[in-house]
Amino acid sequence: MSYKPGVCTFCGTGCAHLLKTDNGSVDGVFPVQNHPVSRGRLCVRGWNIHELLNTPERITTPLVKKDGALVPASYDEAIGVLVKGLADRKANAAEEIAVLASPRSSNEENYLLTRLARSVWGTNNITLDSDSGHRNSLDVLAAGTGMAGMTGSLEELRSCEYVLVAGIDITKQNPIIGSEIHYAVRSGATLVTVDSRKTQIARLSTSFLQARPGSNKIVYAAMAKILIEENLVDFDFLKKHNDGFEGFANSLGALRDEDISAKTGVSMDAIRAAARGLAAAKSAMVFFSSGISGLDADTISYIYNLFLIAGKVGRPGCGVNPIAGINNLQGGYDMGVAPDLLSGFRPITDAKAASAVSAAWGAPISAKPGRGVHELLESGASKLTALIVVDHDEGIVRHAERIKTIPFVAYIGAYKNPFMEYATVVLPIATYIEDDCTFTNTERRVQLSKKKADAPSGVLPGWKLLSAIAEKSGSKWSYASSAAVMDEIAKITPTYAGISHAKLEGTFGMQWPCDAKNPKGTARLSIEASKTFTFAPVSGSFEVPKPTGDFPSLLMIGKAQHFWHQNNIMRKTSIPLREYNTTLLLYPDGYVDITADEAKAAGVRDGWPVNVVSAKGSMRVQARVTDEVGPGAAYVPYFIQEMISEFLLENVDILKLGEDATIPVRIEKV
Amino acid sequence: MYLIKKSDVLRLAEELGKTHDLYGPFMEPATKQAMFERVGKAADIDLAAPIPALPPKHALLPHYEKILAYSYDKKTQKVDLAPIYDDRPKALFGVRPCDLTGILCLDRFFLGQEFLDEVYKYHRKNLFIVSQTCVAPFKQCFCVCCDGGPAASEGYDLNLTDLGDTYLVEAGSEKGKKLAEAMGLAAADAKHQAEKTRRIDKCITLFDSVATDNKAWISRVMNRVTTGFIDEAVWEYIGNQCFECGACSFVCPTCSCFNIVDLPRKNGGAHESDRVRTWDSCSYEGYTREAGGHNPRKPVEDRRNKRFFCKLSYSQSKKYLRPGCVGCGRCQWVCPGDIGLPNVVTYIRREIHS
Ligand code: SF4
Ligand code: SF4
Ligand code: SF4
Repeated sequence: MSYKPGVCTFCGTGCAHLLKTDNGSVDGVFPVQNHPVSRGRLCVRGWNIHELLNTPERITTPLVKKDGALVPASYDEAIGVLVKGLADRKANAAEEIAVLASPRSSNEENYLLTRLARSVWGTNNITLDSDSGHRNSLDVLAAGTGMAGMTGSLEELRSCEYVLVAGIDITKQNPIIGSEIHYAVRSGATLVTVDSRKTQIARLSTSFLQARPGSNKIVYAAMAKILIEENLVDFDFLKKHNDGFEGFANSLGALRDEDISAKTGVSMDAIRAAARGLAAAKSAMVFFSSGISGLDADTISYIYNLFLIAGKVGRPGCGVNPIAGINNLQGGYDMGVAPDLLSGFRPITDAKAASAVSAAWGAPISAKPGRGVHELLESGASKLTALIVVDHDEGIVRHAERIKTIPFVAYIGAYKNPFMEYATVVLPIATYIEDDCTFTNTERRVQLSKKKADAPSGVLPGWKLLSAIAEKSGSKWSYASSAAVMDEIAKITPTYAGISHAKLEGTFGMQWPCDAKNPKGTARLSIEASKTFTFAPVSGSFEVPKPTGDFPSLLMIGKAQHFWHQNNIMRKTSIPLREYNTTLLLYPDGYVDITADEAKAAGVRDGWPVNVVSAKGSMRVQARVTDEVGPGAAYVPYFIQEMISEFLLENVDILKLGEDATIPVRIEKV
Repeated sequence: MYLIKKSDVLRLAEELGKTHDLYGPFMEPATKQAMFERVGKAADIDLAAPIPALPPKHALLPHYEKILAYSYDKKTQKVDLAPIYDDRPKALFGVRPCDLTGILCLDRFFLGQEFLDEVYKYHRKNLFIVSQTCVAPFKQCFCVCCDGGPAASEGYDLNLTDLGDTYLVEAGSEKGKKLAEAMGLAAADAKHQAEKTRRIDKCITLFDSVATDNKAWISRVMNRVTTGFIDEAVWEYIGNQCFECGACSFVCPTCSCFNIVDLPRKNGGAHESDRVRTWDSCSYEGYTREAGGHNPRKPVEDRRNKRFFCKLSYSQSKKYLRPGCVGCGRCQWVCPGDIGLPNVVTYIRREIHS
């Protein structure tokens, strides 16, 4: 009986698996039929996770840089280097020290990392890598509903009557959630996809609204406007539960009917049908991408408000659902990994919460929010001199030049990666199968993953390593196990109050809030629990990017969808890596998606080299002729970073915007 | 033909366990899922467990297996190649008829063609198979549509049939007969044989009310699949729903696609590597695409088409000496796109009718 149950740790779906672990090698994986979300399925990543877990590219010993080269050291020596490096900067820690945490780390690890940063190193500059989109989602939902997470429950998806997929390539990003949506449709639900690209889920939709790049927001605003004009607003619901409807309704006045189709390229009839369908359905959910880039806050606000006026928040089968691409992105925020947050998504300026936290930690913490690590890396003026990075993905590689100039860099991780070379000191940790730990999936489901294998000889699990660092810094922590860390999390985090390893054991997880009132957790936000829902403030601006004569096409940059392509851990697998890179075999120079008409106009065929020219620069890639993009649109996958990075660097301001940001370009035959 | 008391049946497994690695069905305690895996002791086996989530294929074709170790000595420029063959005696106890049929298909693929697969051959060498007749189907079964069950007719060393208080034990090989004799099993007679037939017939009648998840009238579509006259729109409809997860191949008792990679040895020296063989799938784009070249089966619908050609065409059946699907229903279970073989058969039939 060598198959042992656990959780897939690639994406935020949190599918259950059985891992075949024999003699230190992971020789296979199998899905779990009774798991309420994954129900016996895994995606291409999940089915091959043992390839990652078996990689020889583990960091198996601490390393310290001596004479420009990393050499093996003992933990004691390496921890000493780290502690000294940071102690030297303690006086000015809030300016000089920053911590880049990982959305892959377990809850226990991330919680302790915030404790180290805030109470031992004295800095609030702590950020999750690849975070921006999810933070936007959580801000909107926390302000509107009080729940800083997905308001719906994936278990209810199969019985949901209406699903709106808002620009997420979900069958690629979180395939098993995509599968649940597909099942809902096959059982009779209406599926409306709004996107600028014809994704797989668009093909499986009842109705696909292909909006021009940069205009998706207008479609959601228009749907809201139609509901109001046609008197399809759920007034009963709003009377009881809303705050701010009038203001939102008024702001829609700026959107003129005659502009809607012109700006989005979608017919009014199609938008009207989508809006009416939403109003008529008893239950409805919306899914959008979160993390890496995700949507901008304004678009999320329109989506959320649309669902409020349709009365589709807090009811059975309903949900506003930001979907985390990475396994523990949600858990990272729950643990307070952000410059301005404590665990449970409470502002660090909340004096009562802060004093409970510092009492538990036996040390003061600063109430002044820190700064985001990416911001510090980007700003030439920052005084950053020490950077601690945990298990990073590729997000910070674009700061490579800046990182090289930082005098003290520490890396904590399980797997080797190119980033190690920048480090002054490297500390290995165990992987998730080598200790007990918890992860929180995109629907707030906290799941326990039990130890199944021993770490390479001498390598410490995260909680032990972080405790050892604290101890050497003069703070004695007294956790006896990772379960004890969770006990402390529960003690100081209201949403996790009822969670413990013992309670999670043998279950498929519990969804927070889990507390005295909800001892079994809370599958879904409910109207009963939250009296008022507040409309999100919106910009009222419906500008769309305008192509010009010189640059007639709008270029989309695929980030979230292609995240896995350039991902450091994917590179340690064989089959998923091969699958993510197959397109490169046909288009070895990278590609730009254009329509057949566009190709004809440029005088090129599929596979031919083209220049993609913007006002700021140009890049040479191959044309991929496809029906996935609409007229006047072009698409470049960000994963071919090596090939197009210069071009994107010239347009770096665009990269920072959400998924729906575009660059005007023209396509030229080479 | 022999008899063994129901309460004694695991003694057979115990006996086999003395000389073999023992595999069998059991309920995995934490997930309450039926698995077919190596067990610690005979008593762990639960013959009444439902059809296991994974077929016993992994005992012969593991998900992830080192098959060759090699090292290169830089000084002498010598390459040292050491194939890793696994010929441990293994006993598969309580194999369902569909899964046994699956093993026979694998045998024909790996051992019956021009190229003999050495690694598989060693796995197979000392295998002892104890199958069991299904006296009732499970929800997703449709073995009766493709002659994969509910009773085994060949390929076992011993076959068990639940007759109530006793099991009928049939020997299908000399090895099997020797074990039955050595255990001193009582002889069975024609009456017991008749009772077995009655129970199989009963099982078949139960399909209507119990095996309700899937039906797949495969004979109706085989001609169509072989001639390739299926409308492209049907394949497109099917292909659009494929999530390219590979699961259908992994859980299929007859699927044999594999991938080979060479990896630096874990904790090994600079010039030591392992060659690893892993499960692969025709649904994966990269499986069929050659570097720098043009992929003969680029669009996903063509790859789906390929899978069902493999399962349902006459040409492929010639290799297996039967259809490539044994009717276990697992692909329908695990498919995120809801296009397991039974649904695909339905879509093709629908097209024939229109
Ligand atoms: S959907 Fe996500 S959690 Fe599920 S198997 Fe795939 S990568 Fe793992
Ligand atoms: S094709 Fe599907 S039903 Fe047929 S044997 Fe394979 S897994 Fe079982
Ligand atoms: S199981 Fe379904 S989705 Fe997965 S590869 Fe097979 S047909 Fe495609």
